[in-house]
Amino acid sequence: MIYYLPGLFSMLGALFSFALLRKKERLVSVISSLLSLISAIYLMFCSNFSNNLLYVDNLSKIFTLMIAIVYVGVVVFSIEYITNLKDKFLKVYQYFSLLHIFSAALFFSVTLNNLGLIWVCIEATTFSSALLVAVENDSIAQEAAWRYIIIVSVGLVISLISTLFLYAYANTLSINALIKEKPTGSMFLLGALLSIVGYGTKAGVFPMNTWLPDTHGKAPAPVSAIFSAILLPVSLYPIIRIFQIYQNPKLEFFAFSLGFLTVASASLIAGSQKLYKRLFAYSSIENMGMALVGISLGSWGLFGAIILIFAHALAKSGVFMITGNILHHFKTKKIEDIKGLYKTMPKSALFLLFGSLAVTGAPPSATFFGELLILSKTIQTYGYIAGFCLIFFVGMGFLFINLKVIDMVFSGISAPKKIIESNFVYIPILNIAFSVLFLVAIPFLYEFLKGIIQ
Amino acid sequence: MLFLLSLVQFLYVLVLSPLAIGILKRIEERLESRHGPSIFQEYFNLYKYFKKQSIYPQTASAFFSYVPYIVFALISFLTLVLPIITAFPLIFGPVVDFVGGGLVFGAASTLSKLAAIDSRNNYSILGASRASSIGIFTEPIILLIFIMFGVISGTNNPYIINNVLQTSHHWYYSLVHLFIALAFFFVLIIETSQLPIESETPNELGSIDSLMSLEYSGRELALMKWASYMKSFLLMNVFLNVYTFPFFVPMQYNPLSIAIYMFVNFLKICGLLIILAFINATISKYRLFKIFDYIAVAFSFALVAFVVFYTTNIGR
Amino acid sequence: MEKEIFILVGFLEIVMAIFMQWQVYVASNITTFKYQSWILGIFLLAFGFIDKDVPMVILALLTIITRAIFIPKYLLNTINKYLFRARENKHRISTSLSVLVSVLLAIFSYILSIVILSNVGSSLISIPLTLMLQGAFLIVSRSNAYAQMIGYLVMENAMFLMGFIFTSLPFIVEAGVIMDILGIVMIGGILMKIRDEDIKQEEELLG
Repeated sequence: MIYYLPGLFSMLGALFSFALLRKKERLVSVISSLLSLISAIYLMFCSNFSNNLLYVDNLSKIFTLMIAIVYVGVVVFSIEYITNLKDKFLKVYQYFSLLHIFSAALFFSVTLNNLGLIWVCIEATTFSSALLVAVENDSIAQEAAWRYIIIVSVGLVISLISTLFLYAYANTLSINALIKEKPTGSMFLLGALLSIVGYGTKAGVFPMNTWLPDTHGKAPAPVSAIFSAILLPVSLYPIIRIFQIYQNPKLEFFAFSLGFLTVASASLIAGSQKLYKRLFAYSSIENMGMALVGISLGSWGLFGAIILIFAHALAKSGVFMITGNILHHFKTKKIEDIKGLYKTMPKSALFLLFGSLAVTGAPPSATFFGELLILSKTIQTYGYIAGFCLIFFVGMGFLFINLKVIDMVFSGISAPKKIIESNFVYIPILNIAFSVLFLVAIPFLYEFLKGIIQ
Repeated sequence: MLFLLSLVQFLYVLVLSPLAIGILKRIEERLESRHGPSIFQEYFNLYKYFKKQSIYPQTASAFFSYVPYIVFALISFLTLVLPIITAFPLIFGPVVDFVGGGLVFGAASTLSKLAAIDSRNNYSILGASRASSIGIFTEPIILLIFIMFGVISGTNNPYIINNVLQTSHHWYYSLVHLFIALAFFFVLIIETSQLPIESETPNELGSIDSLMSLEYSGRELALMKWASYMKSFLLMNVFLNVYTFPFFVPMQYNPLSIAIYMFVNFLKICGLLIILAFINATISKYRLFKIFDYIAVAFSFALVAFVVFYTTNIGR
Repeated sequence: MEKEIFILVGFLEIVMAIFMQWQVYVASNITTFKYQSWILGIFLLAFGFIDKDVPMVILALLTIITRAIFIPKYLLNTINKYLFRARENKHRISTSLSVLVSVLLAIFSYILSIVILSNVGSSLISIPLTLMLQGAFLIVSRSNAYAQMIGYLVMENAMFLMGFIFTSLPFIVEAGVIMDILGIVMIGGILMKIRDEDIKQEEELLG
């Protein structure tokens, strides 16, 4: 029962804020998300569990915790942000209930024991979050939401085919049974390849990630935060499972090359971005590419990927929330229009810089260690040339993104007037701080994940 | 004996083709709740044209006046080589196969296009250019259909294809055959200038074939009209006897069954005419540029037939 | 016998997908999709009865209710209120070219099934593969939201057809898939009603 609790609490939150306690939707949302967080933390100390429906191991627990932390932050941050938004497409209670359904689907995706049901849950996140993208009620937001729903659905059809192939070959979709069975065979390979492309669509992996910058760029800040921080990693979760089930050099190389191309394309395109939200969207794509590379490499590459995912989730959610504050005060999304942020919004500016350093993998942050592990494993597996190319692209992304952020934060000294920041700015600050402090937890995480990282 | 049958077949087409068109027009009028002309109206029209004096444009060369006779002769020749009242080759049967028949049709239409250009009438030239741009795209479909039937029966002979489809249920009820028949039906509508492609009303700006004979008068006009009736009639016969409904066509020489079949065949034609009339009554004309979409669909059916053939491994 | 009927149904669906490519009016596209789903549903139902396969029968009934009855009705309803969406004013790719490409996809997937998927099973797999590519191509070749949604639904239909060749997925998964499609269509319907088709080049959507 305890294993259902995080998802159940957010379902209850959705129910209460949609129907029963419509007037108090903010309070209900905060309570339900906090309960999810508490149960997720409690889950960390429970033993592993698997039955027909659930498969909870330490990886699932880590993912659950990550979802819960970001979820609480986003819900609390939304309280103010959504109230200040003019001319909304959704009413406030609708917004919160969709957010809860979305999170419930995410919680279930990482704990279920059936690749088919995981597919169902991930597809459920698509339609529950599509309207959240269109909250800013204009034609561009609708276009972005439409692109999101159609491209991601088509991508997920591909992963449904892959599920079909896996099932046709192994006659079971249960992760538990599949891990024991260790299937081999070309049909399983085909299914696994297709599933990387399919789930990769939703995770922002190279060939079909065109929806991602539009959606992240146009969605309201808390929605961008939850998308970038947990929706993308959760879409990588089935890929991790598939690599756990089935090791094949071809599959690993395929995933590696897709991840490599993702990193390369995202870091190159990030250089030409003029809008700061899109800039960070490309940073998310780059990080997911790195994570996919790590997953494909296995062993400590996988460990690096998990560190990267976790630290990135915390930092990136904070960064996106801060961009929401900036957008609210400056009413513009262009990088060039924002000068001297350090003078006008000191807290936001400082932590925007910290956050952007953290998501791009600046040395003392946890993402740096994640990327370091992945890069070293790359060099070990594919040699120095591939490794240095990857380092080159990651460095490019680092330079492009941080240059623009520094430009926003420090340039322009023309007597700006200071803006009073609301107390809700502490949520992104907390998230980013956690992301940096996460460094301390890495040894514990290694102990914790020992069963999964062979 | 075969010679006599050939003569009968020629006369059959010659006499009944205007009647078929008359029936079609009558049914169309009835569907639009109008009384409509008599079904023999086309005979009266032809008779009237034959009585009238022929006038040629000053700018036209002698070629212009020869063309109707040549076209009429070419189409008449085709009546001798296609399975219309018999499913065994008549005396001219071995002369050409399907591809040859297609070439003769092509020769006739090319000549009439040249004559249209020769007449120096702007509208005729417009019609000729329209007809040839559509013809360019219908030709591959017809060729594809022939090839597909070649794959089925191992030959391009219409008689053999008829016999194969009549005797082999395996082929008759196969999807390959269905798609080929569908593609040919699309082509039939283009070639007989039925409605989604062309309407016969004189004030129509989108007409195609009817523009080409604009400068003809008198006997030449009668021959051109008659040749086009015969062409439509022949194509309908091919569609029925070879592609869709090859049954009852007598495969052995037997005067009685041939005589009976002559009536049955006309009934079949009447059935097809009713279908065509319904299509004409329900569908509106496409704009000229939309015709190519229509042709693309017809082509895709012919191509799908290929895919079916290989996917289902019927041949193997 | 089963194989022949599968081929018949499969190619009917393919022809209908070609027709969808040809249509200009969104309403007729939806109607074509309705017939496609009916054919698929009845096919599944018949085989469910023949094999006495209860989950298959339930699945077929669910398919008919959701895809053949509810979804077309819902989409047509949203169109009826916004008549200017009933006709697509411009295609990204000219109609005849897209019809041809749609057919060439059939040949492509046949070759694919021979070259790559030959160890998977019979060449029949090229039928649902074709349908899937055609649905994807419908999405790519049209800018109208309704046509794109129909393309997505065609892909889902192809999924079901493919499930017939292989063993179909466990019942609970299939039911979840149907519910998901319903959710996508409902949410998509809300967006489709308000989406502006002729969106200009916007800086916010570039790069």
